[in-house]
This record gives sequence, C-alpha cells and structure tokens, in this order.
Amino acid sequence: MANGEVLGTTRIVEAGPPEQRWNAVIVSEGYRSDEMAQFATDARQFADTLLSVAPFDRLRAAINIYRVDVTSTESGAKDPKKCNGTGAKPRTYFDASFCSNGIRRLLIANNGRVVKVVSKQVPQWHMAFLAVNSPISGGSGGPVATFSKAPGAVEIAIHEMGHTAFGLADEYEYYSGCASDKGHDKHSKSEPSQPNITTNKNRATTKWRSLIQPATPVPTTSNANCANCDPQPSPVAVGTIGLFEGADYYHCGIYRPEFDCRMRNLNRPFCAVCQQVIVKKLTPFLPV
Amino acid sequence: MVARKSARKSKARKAAKKTSKTKARKAPAKASKTSPVSNKAVRLTFSYDGDEVKLLSQQRTEMTVPPSDVVKGYGKYKGFWAELRSASDKPLYRTVMHNPTKNDAEVFPESPAEGISRQPAPKRKGVFVVVVPDTDKGEDVILCRSTPATKGPARGIRALASEPAEEIRRFKLKK
Repeated sequence: MANGEVLGTTRIVEAGPPEQRWNAVIVSEGYRSDEMAQFATDARQFADTLLSVAPFDRLRAAINIYRVDVTSTESGAKDPKKCNGTGAKPRTYFDASFCSNGIRRLLIANNGRVVKVVSKQVPQWHMAFLAVNSPISGGSGGPVATFSKAPGAVEIAIHEMGHTAFGLADEYEYYSGCASDKGHDKHSKSEPSQPNITTNKNRATTKWRSLIQPATPVPTTSNANCANCDPQPSPVAVGTIGLFEGADYYHCGIYRPEFDCRMRNLNRPFCAVCQQVIVKKLTPFLPV
Repeated sequence: MVARKSARKSKARKAAKKTSKTKARKAPAKASKTSPVSNKAVRLTFSYDGDEVKLLSQQRTEMTVPPSDVVKGYGKYKGFWAELRSASDKPLYRTVMHNPTKNDAEVFPESPAEGISRQPAPKRKGVFVVVVPDTDKGEDVILCRSTPATKGPARGIRALASEPAEEIRRFKLKK
C-alpha cells in the first residue's frame, strides 16, 4: 500500500507550451498533507534559486518548472542508526532514506517510482528533482536529483543536474580525498566523452581551444606530484580559461577548463565551458 | 501586440546567445555540429542491477529533444552514452551521460568548505532514462560504456572507467 498519494501538478514557472520548452519538475517527498503549503513555498524557493544561477538566469524564456504534489503518510526520511542516525523510519511515498550503502549523507529514494509519477504528471519532462522534507544534510544524483532541506542542499541538486541533464563530468581531482586516494595518480590516455574535461593538452586541438586566449599558458597548471592533489593556487585571474591539471577523480593527466567550477566545488558558478554546454543544449527551447 | 510579443521572444534568444558569446565566445568545435531538433520523442526507461541493463518501457511523447552530441569522431572516447541508430547502423543522435551504472556514489559535504568526494557503492541497482528523437529512420537505441580498470591499485570496487567505450546493449525501437 502506498504511503501517501499524488495530488496533482502545478506549473510554477511558465515559459510556454511544454512541447517546446525545457521542463524541470520538482516532486515532494516526506511532506504530510498538512505540510503541502510548505512544499509549495520550498518549490518556489528552489525555482527562484535555479533561475538565478548562470546561465539559467538568461535562459528563463526556455524553462518551465512544475511542482508535483505528493503527500506522505509521515514526515521526513529514514535515518538509520547504523550510520549514527536517529533511527527514524517515517512512512513516505518514495521511501527516501539516508545511509544508502552505509553512507550517512547519501540520501536516495525509490527513483523508479519517482520517474513513473513524473512521466505520468509531466510527460515532456527533461529533469526531475526530489525535495525531501528533512533538515539533515544529504542528497544524491542519478535520474532524479535528490536533496534535503538542509542549508545549501539545493547546491547538490544543481551540481547533479549538471551531470544528468547536460552530461558534465566532475572536475575534482580526487576520489575519496586527496590524502586517502590510492590509484588516482594518473588518468588513462582515453579521451573522456564529457565536454568539460580532456586529456588533450595541445592548444590547437583541445576541446575548448577557441576559448583559450593566446596569452594564457597551456597547460595553465601542472601538478608537480601526481601522488597527491595539486596544492598550488591559481596562477591566473578568476575566469581565465585554460588547461588546469587534475579532474575526473585523477591528480594528473587530465585537464579542466577553469581553476574552479560548480562541477568541482559546490557554491561556485559553472565555469564558462560548462555554461556554454548548457546554453547550447537549451537554446532550441527558447521562443523563436 | 503580436509583433511586440514576437520581438520580445527573439530578444530573449538573442540575449542568451549574446551573453553566452561574451562569456564563452565560440562553442568548442567538437560540440558545434548538432542534429536537427525534433518535437517528437521516445522516452526509454531502463533498469540496472550491477552490470545487467534492462529496458523497462518506451513512451512516445510530443516534446523537444535537446540537440545531439557529436555523432562522428568519438570512437576512442571513454564514458557512457546512448545512441539512436538507423537500419544501416548509422548514428543519428547521441547523448553523453554521466554513467548511471557506476559502482560508486557522490557524497556531499555538510560544510561548503569541504569538498565533494566519492565512496564505493557496491549495491548498484536503479533506473535511468534516455530520450531520443522519434524519427522514421531510427531503428535501434544502443548503450555504450567504458570498461573499468582491471589492473593497478584502483581496481575492483574502486575501479573507474578507463578504456574506450563499447556497445553494451542494443534495443529495438517499437514502431
């Protein structure tokens, strides 16, 4: 028996017919029926945040945002004791739980069920978000970007959208951490398919060559010790596009376009190359 | 009134493009060639359990599909992507994806000062979705994935994709 019900859908940001626009959907999880007004406020806040992030701020005319109201029998998300959680086991519609794979902040729901609900409510959807009514920090990616109500958790959703909707790679240069990494010294020679990382350090042929100024050194940074992350600060001004060594979970042999980016650290803007990818993907959704 | 609305619309398109040009000038050459945008699409929902991938459903929908990633010159690339292929096996549409079947998960810090990291996640099970244009020429959808490293310290549960991607599954589109 379902622990709640699907109440319906409201378009909270209207840019045009769903057949012609890029449609983002935000779904509620762990909100009781008497908490749906709060979800409406949370969804609105999320939409405002998303549309304030570059380049979405200048693509507003391309984007519809829908809110799918789904109630849960009880409030919150499961928080197993085995991850030092409270042991709470609320009955919720999508069974969201922290401590997935034994990792406290890994908050995962039944994404199959989310996809089914979203496909029925908004058949033209491109990106789905699941807002989990819990103050504990957590989230996850995949077909549905899941995030809690902890301060800053919306950043998780936006980073994950970079992966899911735009095929962007992670730009951080370590796996579990610079100090604890083993086997992440050097990237393989295979060129990644993602548009924001490359093994090619040839200025004339690298992926984002047209964005690199002639005065910018290439590579822009090189890691002197591939056994660890590169500790050096950026030698160039913020926003300089070049080839910075370290990305895709490897310390060396792989390059990112800017020193920092939202695909490397939360609470940063998307770098120019990532922004360009997003703009290119969303331009066909702008009104003609 | 209509003319004014239409002028506003094309202004929006120009504004997005202009800012994009200012900030990022020209598109990377490799990503500049795209297939025409379609307003008819097929949404394919897949399930995966470990390395096993199954097609759960095909849903035809009237919607705009994002432009294709390059359909030439990616033979030795690593990663994960889906392609729409013609009867003669020609790639018609390709979408690069963040590997949905990875054997690890992204873990986010509580404090913004800490970095994002990855942790092995051996219980790999879930769903993912691919949307391709619904065209007369489209026959099959294929999924391509890189093989994880089998040598070196980062093998086994921590193995990451390192080799060029290969076709792992092929599914016939329902007509």
